[in-house]
Formats: sequence, C-alpha cells, structure tokens
Amino acid sequence: MSVPTLTDPPANGSTSAPPTKPQGQPTQKSMTKAERRELQEKQRAAKAALKAQQQQGGGQPKLPKSPGAPQKKAQAGETSKQAASAGREAVAAAIDEATGGKAVSRSLRIFTHFGLPKPVSHVKGDIHPAIVRLGLLFSEFKICGANARCIATLTAFKSVIQDYTTPPNHTLSRHLMTHLSPQITHLVAARPMSVTMGNAIRQLKLEISDSDIDMVEQDAKNALCNKIDNYIRDRILIADEVILKLAGNKIKDGDVILTFARSSVVEKILLGAQEEGKKFSGRFLLNKLTGGSNPISCTYALLPALPSLITEATTVLLGAHALFSNGAVYSRAGTALVAMMAKGHGVPVLVCSETYKFSEGVMVDGFAKNELAPVKITKATSHPVDVTPSQNLEILNPLYDLTPATFITAVVTEVGLIPPSSISSIPLALGKTIL
Amino acid sequence: MTLYHPIAPSQKSGGEDVVKFDIYATFQRILQDDQMSPPLAAILTLTEVIENSNAGTMFELVKALNEGAEVLKRQAPNPISPNAGCELFIAFVTLFPHDSAAKQNFSDLKRELIRQGQQYAKEALTYRQKIADLAVGFIKDGSVILTHSYSRVVMQTLLLAHKRKRISVFVTEARPRGLGIKTAEALTAAGIPCSVILDAAVAYVMDKVDFVLVGSEAVVESGGLVNAVGSNQIAIIAKAANKPFYALAESYKFHRLFPLSQYDLPSHNSKIFSFTQTFERDPGNLLNQPSNNPSGSAAENQEKSNDSLAGSPAKFTQEHICQSNPDVDYTRPDLISLVFSDVGSLTPEGVSQYLVGMFAD
Repeated sequence: MSVPTLTDPPANGSTSAPPTKPQGQPTQKSMTKAERRELQEKQRAAKAALKAQQQQGGGQPKLPKSPGAPQKKAQAGETSKQAASAGREAVAAAIDEATGGKAVSRSLRIFTHFGLPKPVSHVKGDIHPAIVRLGLLFSEFKICGANARCIATLTAFKSVIQDYTTPPNHTLSRHLMTHLSPQITHLVAARPMSVTMGNAIRQLKLEISDSDIDMVEQDAKNALCNKIDNYIRDRILIADEVILKLAGNKIKDGDVILTFARSSVVEKILLGAQEEGKKFSGRFLLNKLTGGSNPISCTYALLPALPSLITEATTVLLGAHALFSNGAVYSRAGTALVAMMAKGHGVPVLVCSETYKFSEGVMVDGFAKNELAPVKITKATSHPVDVTPSQNLEILNPLYDLTPATFITAVVTEVGLIPPSSISSIPLALGKTIL
Repeated sequence: MTLYHPIAPSQKSGGEDVVKFDIYATFQRILQDDQMSPPLAAILTLTEVIENSNAGTMFELVKALNEGAEVLKRQAPNPISPNAGCELFIAFVTLFPHDSAAKQNFSDLKRELIRQGQQYAKEALTYRQKIADLAVGFIKDGSVILTHSYSRVVMQTLLLAHKRKRISVFVTEARPRGLGIKTAEALTAAGIPCSVILDAAVAYVMDKVDFVLVGSEAVVESGGLVNAVGSNQIAIIAKAANKPFYALAESYKFHRLFPLSQYDLPSHNSKIFSFTQTFERDPGNLLNQPSNNPSGSAAENQEKSNDSLAGSPAKFTQEHICQSNPDVDYTRPDLISLVFSDVGSLTPEGVSQYLVGMFAD
C-alpha cells in the first residue's frame, strides 16, 4: 500500500468499494461480452463481501479496511490481466506496478493505444468499391501524406455521391450522410482519420445538410461534387501556391535550407524557388530535388548528423500533418528534434501548412494520440542489421510527434506568415465558416 | 489575386501621374512637421496621390496607390515605417464600401477617401496622448528608466510621468544618428534628471534601471519590434537582467511583415556589413580629409588609394561606419514584455493576433 496508485482506495475505508469502478471502466469497452460479465459478477461479489464485513464489524470502523484492501488488490490484479489480454493501456500498466508485478508485458502497454496499421480483412455493410480500394491504399501506406489522403478521400466521396440514389421517402440532404458514415467508418478502420480528413468531412457534412431539398437529385449531387472540387482547389491547391510564394520570398540567394521528411508543400517551395533562379542547397531529402531538370545541390544526412549540419543551415522548412490551436505542430516523428535543434542554434524554423490542417483541439504531447509506423516502412529505411522483436526486445516506431509552439518561428499559411501563438485566432479571422 | 484588366490608356495615365507628381518630395514636405511620423506622412502622401490621380475606377486608383507606395519604398532611406502607413491606407481604400459610392460620382468617392485619410492622420496625432496615459500607469514613483534614441511617444510619456511622479532617465547616445542627445536635452529642459550613456554602456547601467522604455519604427506580425539600431541589444540585456522591456507604438505602426532574422528586414541590403567596401574606398583619402566630406570625388579617391597603396593603414571615418551599418534592427517578441498602443497594452502575442485579425479578410 505504500505506493499510491489508481487502485488505492481513499484513506477512509468505508468508501473503498466505488473506486474499483473507474479502473474497471476504461478497459471494459475493449473486452468481450463474456469477459465483461465475468468482471461485473466479480465486482458484485466483492461489493457483497464488503457489505457483509461492514455489517459484521459495524462497531470497529478500521477493521473493514484491512480485509477489504487485499481482496481488492487481488481483484485489481485480475482486471489488469484481463485488460492486458485485451491489449490495453496505461491504467493497466499502473495497476501492474501497483501489484508489484515483475511480469513486464511484451506489448509495451503504454503505447497500445497508438493506432496500429491493420489490414482491412472484411468489408462490413454497403461499402463503395472506391472506398474499399482507398481503405486498402491507406492501410498499406500507399497514400500517406495529409494532403494526399484528404484529396483521395474527397475524390472517392465524389464517386460515392455520384453512385448514390436516394431511397424512396427520403431526402438527399437527410439520407446521404447516413450512407456516407459507414464509408467513413471503413476508412477510419483502415487507418486513423487525419485532421485534414476530419476537417474536410465536417465541411462536406455541412454542405450536404445545406443542400436544397427541392433540388433535382442529380443536380444536388453535381452541386456537391462541385463543392468538393472547390474545396480541394481553394483550400489545398491554391493555398499551396500562395504558401509557395510566401515561403519563396523568405528564401534568399545563397541560403542553405534544411528540411526533414518529405512534405509535398516543401518540395514545391524548393522546386519553385529553384525556378526563380535562387541558389541554395537543400539537405536531408528528396530524390525529386536532385532528379529534376534543374537539380538543386543537396546533401543527404542522417538525423544523428544534424548537430554538425545545423550551423550551416540558414532556414529550416518543415511540413506538417496538423496544427493545433495551442500552436503545436503534429508532424512526422523526428520533426520536433529538428525544430528544437534549430531553435537552439538560432536558425528560423518555418512550418508550411494550409489552414485546413488547423485543428481546434489542443495537444500537449505526442503520446495522447499517435500512430505506429507499419513494419514495412521501418524495414525499408532501417539499417541492414535485422531488428526482430524478441522476448526482451520490443520495437516502438511512432509515426508522428508533436513540436511545441516555442520551437517554431513562424507558420506559413495561405493567409500569410503567422507566429504559432496566434494560430488560434485564424479560424476567427477567417470568419469561422470555412474551417 | 486581383483580376487584371489591361486597359492600355488608363495604365499609361497612371504612370504619368507618378511622374508628374513627385511623391517623395511630398512625403519629405509632410515630414517637415515635427509631430508627423513617417507612417502618417505616407498616408497623407497617398491622399495627395489620390488627389492628383485621374483614375476613373477603383482598380486604377488602387493601382496608382500601389505604384506610389512602391516609389516611396524605393526612395525613402528606411522603407519600413512609411510602408506600414501605405499598407494601412491601401487596405482601407480597397475595403472601402464601393457599393454605396457607386451611385454617386467616382470623384466624390475619391474626395471622401482623401477626407477619411486626412481625418485619420489628424486623429492619429492624439494616439500618443492615449499611449502616454496607458503607460504612465506602469511607471512607479521614483522609477529609473532607460530609453533609447529619440521617440516622440516616449517623450510624451516621460513628460506626462514627470508631472505626476519623480522619475529619472538614462538615455543612450544612439549612434550613428545621435538622437539620444536630443532626448536628453528635451528632458533636461523639462526638469527631468537625465543622463546620457554610451550605447556600449547599456549592460553597465542595466542593474540600476527599473525598466526599459523604447519607441518603435514598426511593430511586426511576430509581435516583435523594429526600432533604431541598438534596441535589440538593450532588449537582450534587459532580458538577461530580468528587467521589463516596454515598447510604445501607435497602431498605425503595426506592420504586416514577418522578419525571420535581422537580415530578413526590408531595410537590409548588401552594403550593410560588407567586408570589402570599406577597404576599397578608405585608404588614403581619410588622412587629410575632414570627416564631414565623406565621399569626395571617386577619381581622386582612386588615385590616392593607388598612391598610398602600400603601408597606409586602413582608417574608418564615422561616415563610412554609418554607411555600412544598419539604421534599424529587429527585436524578437520573446524579449518584449509589453507593447503599449492606442488599442491597449498588448503582449507580443496579442499584437500578432491583432495584426492577423486586422488584415486577414
């Protein structure tokens, strides 16, 4: 009892039964029905036992605690085992520690909530072939950029909408969404939804519910597809062009640009700047840069070499997966490292992102929500020494990380360069209607 | 962004406007007024551009204004602060409700724009008083204040504070322009205890100071500050000594600009801090030339430098040093405690949010 844990009852023994619930609840969702029933029965039994004890020793209030606690602990241990078998998380880990369990799980339980890439095995319900195909592409990481995923999703939805017919006695504006939601569920099952997709889908829902009831069905569908096209054009493609221009202005003749991972926008910026005849060298990336007709001189370096290279760089250009309203940038794992290093060396860090990547949420670290990179990607890029998970070796490869706002100089968006601290004011400034 | 309708004759007339009407001279003339700051002068200059323009449509008018702003930017020694004014005014003209004006004559609209511009400039002159009222609340009795160079709004604040509280002021000399002397003279005349310190003595004096109060050329989108060179180092020293660093800025100095570093400012050019230039010019002519005639004739310089090529030690005059040094520098937002402006006392984040809100539409 010396270690305070989630399972510890509060100091007074009389309320020792309720605290078992919070620890049981989060895990319940993941269990099978049978397991859940078993757990419930156990809890009921424990409660009954406690009550009986309390009734027996009503005179001495201290007594119930001592027999009650071990029993509870045992129960906690059991629940934790169940939770582990269901492949779940922090609570369980804490419980394990509490029970002094030396049995360290092989499955890194604190990270088990990270979205795992999973093959789409079965197709449930009425899923459009375009969505099935897209789901496969997502789960295989054939389409993986934030922009690419959003555009692919919207394009697939266009064909879904075109192939949809409103059943009799329904209106399109009411029924189409119920038709789309299983499609969305299917995509999310293939890979967790990205913020960009979320924003786009929210906008699409809005447009669907706004569509006129009296409109001819085909016209309404065309109008929706048109709206989707406009969204892709305005929020992504044209936004990219504006970003390209703005960021291009910040690249001076002779600059050395450092970039990390591969962002479609950063790639465009660098190629665009090259076309304007500025000379600079990019590091760290992209066959495309050197492979073009007008190659940019590049140095490709590994992340461990960053400290010795960062002093050479004049600007760091990064892409983003999503931006949160506290100014944090959610991007490919390793970005935070590069940004921090650059900040430490006084190199300005520019994050290029369209405003449709802004999320209203707040994210404080990269643990609360993340994805695990598929083994295939890891294998392809890692060194030849084969690292296979074994009894004592676990591989953890999160796909994203979070760069706090303090390490970012500016965010380049289509509405201008803005400091990360004012990201939260952008949706308001844009009138809130299009985010 | 804007739709482009190339109408040959109107374009031509727009170009002639600029030629006929000397924008920079107008700008200089307006600046003669002691109370006038460059952004306001730029706004007034642009109202005169409207007056002299024979543009018949909004599109032409905005184009003429943009051209005028461009000329001003090229000719002004420090493009940043007039730019802030131009930007503000052009944004205002672009967003000015046309529809209501479309009914009436276009020249009426122009007259209205001119009137609005002039009224704004007039109104803006009262902003300093507002700022002084705000900032005085932060000045405690017996404060020791460090200020940099000369700023009208800082002067007004200090004079107001002097009426109510006992203050003493350290003023940096603020080379190269030496405007700190002007501040010191004005303050002494008003009876404020005042001492001029060297720019290099800021760190020495910092422990005696309660807070730093500076004016500004422009406040930029990052929440940072563009001000007479030396402000940045004062801010760094103040930060290191944990002293508050306050900036005073009228809202017309808010500028949609995001410098990433000192060298990203529009005022930066290749002449600043070039290694070769000073040496090419210098040897020879400095030994016998009075320092107030820096350039001399190029041919003479060449000759002399050829003559005394060997052995003559390179010398630097004030003028040469000035030429290869910046006028303004950029202070990062994290070094600034508060920005007092007529729209309120803002944190640097607040400034950037205000700016994003002001121009994002």
